[in-house]
Amino acid sequence: MNDKPLITDLIRTRRVYIDGAMGTMLHRRGLEPGQPSEMWNISHPDAVTDIHLQYLAAGCDIITANTFGANGIRYDDPEPLLRAGMACARKAADKYPGSYVALDIGPSGRLLEPLGDLAFEDAVRGFGVCARTAQECGADLIIIETMNDCYETKAALLAVKENCSLPVFVMNVYDESGKLMTGADAWAMVCMLEGMGADVIGMNCSLGPDKMLPVARQMLSHASVPVVAVPNAGLPHVRDGQTVYDMDEQSFCLYAEQLARAGVSVLGGCCGTDPNYIKLLVEKTRDIPLPDILPKNETVVSSYTHACLIGASPVLIGERINPTGKPAFKKALRDSDMDYVLAEGIRQADAGVQVLDVNVGLPEIDERAVLCECIGRLQAVTDLPLQIDTSSSEALGAAMRIYNGKPLVNSVNGKEEVMSAVFPLVRKYGGAVIALTLDESGIPSSAEQRVAIAEKIIDRAAEYGIRPCDIIVDPLAMAVSSDPNGALVTLRTVQLLHERGIRTSLGVSNISFGLPCRDKINSTFFAEALAGGLDCAIINPFSSPMMDTYYAFRALHALDTACAGYIAYASDAACDSAPSSVGDMTLRDCIEKGLSADAAAKTAELLKSVSPEDIINLHISAALNKVGDDFEHKRAYLPQLLMSADAATASFAEVKKALPPSEDTGRRMILATVHGDIHDIGKNIVRVMLESYGFGVIDLGRDVPPEKVLQAVQRSGCRLVGLSALMTTTVPAMERTIKLLHEFDPDIKVAVGGAVLNREYADMIHADVYCADAMDTVRYAEAYYAGI
Amino acid sequence: MSYADVAVGQLCADELVLNPAETAARLGTSRDFRHKRVDECLAVLRANMRCRYAYARMPVAVEGDVCDFGFMQVQSRALGRNLGGCAEAYIFAVTLGAQVDRLLMRLAAGSQSDRFITDALASSAAESLCECVSRQLAAGLRCRPRFSPGYGDFSINFQPLVLDRLNAGSYLGITLTDALMMVPSKSITAVMGIEI
Repeated sequence: MNDKPLITDLIRTRRVYIDGAMGTMLHRRGLEPGQPSEMWNISHPDAVTDIHLQYLAAGCDIITANTFGANGIRYDDPEPLLRAGMACARKAADKYPGSYVALDIGPSGRLLEPLGDLAFEDAVRGFGVCARTAQECGADLIIIETMNDCYETKAALLAVKENCSLPVFVMNVYDESGKLMTGADAWAMVCMLEGMGADVIGMNCSLGPDKMLPVARQMLSHASVPVVAVPNAGLPHVRDGQTVYDMDEQSFCLYAEQLARAGVSVLGGCCGTDPNYIKLLVEKTRDIPLPDILPKNETVVSSYTHACLIGASPVLIGERINPTGKPAFKKALRDSDMDYVLAEGIRQADAGVQVLDVNVGLPEIDERAVLCECIGRLQAVTDLPLQIDTSSSEALGAAMRIYNGKPLVNSVNGKEEVMSAVFPLVRKYGGAVIALTLDESGIPSSAEQRVAIAEKIIDRAAEYGIRPCDIIVDPLAMAVSSDPNGALVTLRTVQLLHERGIRTSLGVSNISFGLPCRDKINSTFFAEALAGGLDCAIINPFSSPMMDTYYAFRALHALDTACAGYIAYASDAACDSAPSSVGDMTLRDCIEKGLSADAAAKTAELLKSVSPEDIINLHISAALNKVGDDFEHKRAYLPQLLMSADAATASFAEVKKALPPSEDTGRRMILATVHGDIHDIGKNIVRVMLESYGFGVIDLGRDVPPEKVLQAVQRSGCRLVGLSALMTTTVPAMERTIKLLHEFDPDIKVAVGGAVLNREYADMIHADVYCADAMDTVRYAEAYYAGI
Repeated sequence: MSYADVAVGQLCADELVLNPAETAARLGTSRDFRHKRVDECLAVLRANMRCRYAYARMPVAVEGDVCDFGFMQVQSRALGRNLGGCAEAYIFAVTLGAQVDRLLMRLAAGSQSDRFITDALASSAAESLCECVSRQLAAGLRCRPRFSPGYGDFSINFQPLVLDRLNAGSYLGITLTDALMMVPSKSITAVMGIEI
């Protein structure tokens, strides 16, 4: 330990080497396949130490303690395994002064929510114990490796950052297409990991050094920190019942040389490599000069799949997830109806925005909780990066923490109080920040003064270690109706900032506040701002004039190769305005044939001449009853029933717009897939059928704990609950939920359904009724409300 | 990590042929049911599938209801009957990948009919992938029908052992939930006896 340089300093002076495979070596010594290798830290410590010594003798700088699977998610108490693993490594390293010991953190073996069922904070906790033990046991660094999910990587890195002060290397597993199992590409990972302060980033396992080269190149072109590559010895093949890797050390090193020449600073070996590989690797690549690692200064945000560059083609940020001026949205937020938010997110993504703004600020709600829920749910259904829009630093911190990627933060400004609240969060979680040009003295009236505030904010951010490229300045579009010079000042500020290389963003539609036909003003202002160098615009993507301007601008400014984007947009727009092909189909036809868009259009048309009640009774219900009857008599199949239900729901949504809110029928049902069960298809089918029959559905989602169902009952007053379970293993959770509900109020009616259930089983767990299918549930709900 | 005798492979999503009977059963339709929407859903599904598999061949000792694979001893009458007389077996795992789960989640937030159809098609695709892999493994051998944890009295509790044995977490990204469900959800594990 003592007088050797920090590993992060050593890396800047020469190429550094990590050891080769531990598992491969342990298997050669008798570790059974499938047996956890960390167990050998306690049962065969000498063997583990000996392998470390072999790698050190081969010339590596860093040995990786045998702690890959020893975390608090796989084990109740991983500490003895971690300590024993560190002891083996330390014992070996002490014989090689100048060597470094890394505590190794591998994946948890579980997938995080929403894909799996491991909660983010449980993952952070489970990895936290590794980081604490690393520091206590004298590790020189931590290596997070073989991570194939972006979110789990974030949890592990956050755990390291929160529990120790050691340098940290992070390596992910990419496949031949250059992506992680859950979809992230290398640029997205660079974005998030650099933002959170990883010291070295890169890749390991899965690929040989040849296939790793393109991924490494992509990473090197974006990374401002050193890059590490730890390839397998090629690809595994089974020969005579044994897995062999198809690259010997010679060819492994031939390709590793290319990795070194491309600029990789740290090399090592993964599956299939042994000390011979490492020895040759060091010999062959030691003298290849180290690259200069230059800051790339890219302004970029990311999701769990991709990065979004700000500063090349203008970036559209969808403004629709914001309750301001939207009574239906406010109601949805108060009712915790996330479906509204999700639908708005998906529609904006389909309309072509690259980032979604998320604002749920309402005085009467718990903003922190609702914002986090919104972010989590949105990230389950869209892969667009999100802009977290809140004035509460508490809500902001919580949302940035659980965000999967590097978020855009909206916003900071020149007020000291705001900067000192927001910048530490950006430093910790990573992010690019929108900076408003206002401070304690208000909004300056001149462009030069606004630029001065922007520069002050950028300087202040730098004191927190936040790079200038992560600040995007919003020079504030002010209503031109109240200040005739407002637009001119804003446009000039955009231009001045652009000349200084500072990225800009504008909430464009503010400019037309108080004026009629706002789109006309907005789109012209937008065009001028774009011409002045505007990088991002927060806009309504459902406004045709705004989208026209965006696509036309890109074509006119050589940002749209062969005008392909414009042509695609223009032909879509032409299709939308063409007369519908359904011609003289009736609403009933549309619903029976399952044509949602046409059903909605027909409904809107009918509403001009027919009352909402008649549309429901004579058209929607009639069509549904016909299809339902066909289904029950096996003349129609489930897909057709569902298509009709979707169309009926679309039609019903139009009718609802015409009905005053007080005429809400109050017929509601709470639905949930029980705790532990992540199959929600049955529940979703029931939901769409209920909705198509005009019931309100409080959908709690899947994997819902009993307490959450009870809370929904208490909050909504609804006493009709439907529970679904697909697996025998989760029926006990269903029984617990029913018991809890009936203890609270014996009059609560619980309907159950799902693949594993039948009437007898339902009776056994004290359900009020067993519903064999969705139509059954609809009939039960109708009878329930007819009876009360 | 290294697994001394596990091999991995992948299959192009476009090459996977769905079994019409299986697909019809999953959709709940007759075999001659055709609908434009089903074709559209299949195209989107294929674009999101990443078909991968891992397998290992190993000795198995079968005595009555007990099958000893070395890394796990299974007490199961059904499996014992299936593997009776075999001295070796393959274990394998296949998956369509996590992108399919993401697709299903996105569809669930919009159209339930698209969600249902895509889910059914994905289940059918996972079966086809499994069939395809077992055919490849069985080439030149005489093999028993594949048998999965959860079939009959072959307890689902063996799922973690099977996945660990195949290093399926690292190789295929298959993980388990607390209730022992596989994620990505369109994944299958199985044992296939090799006749002597």
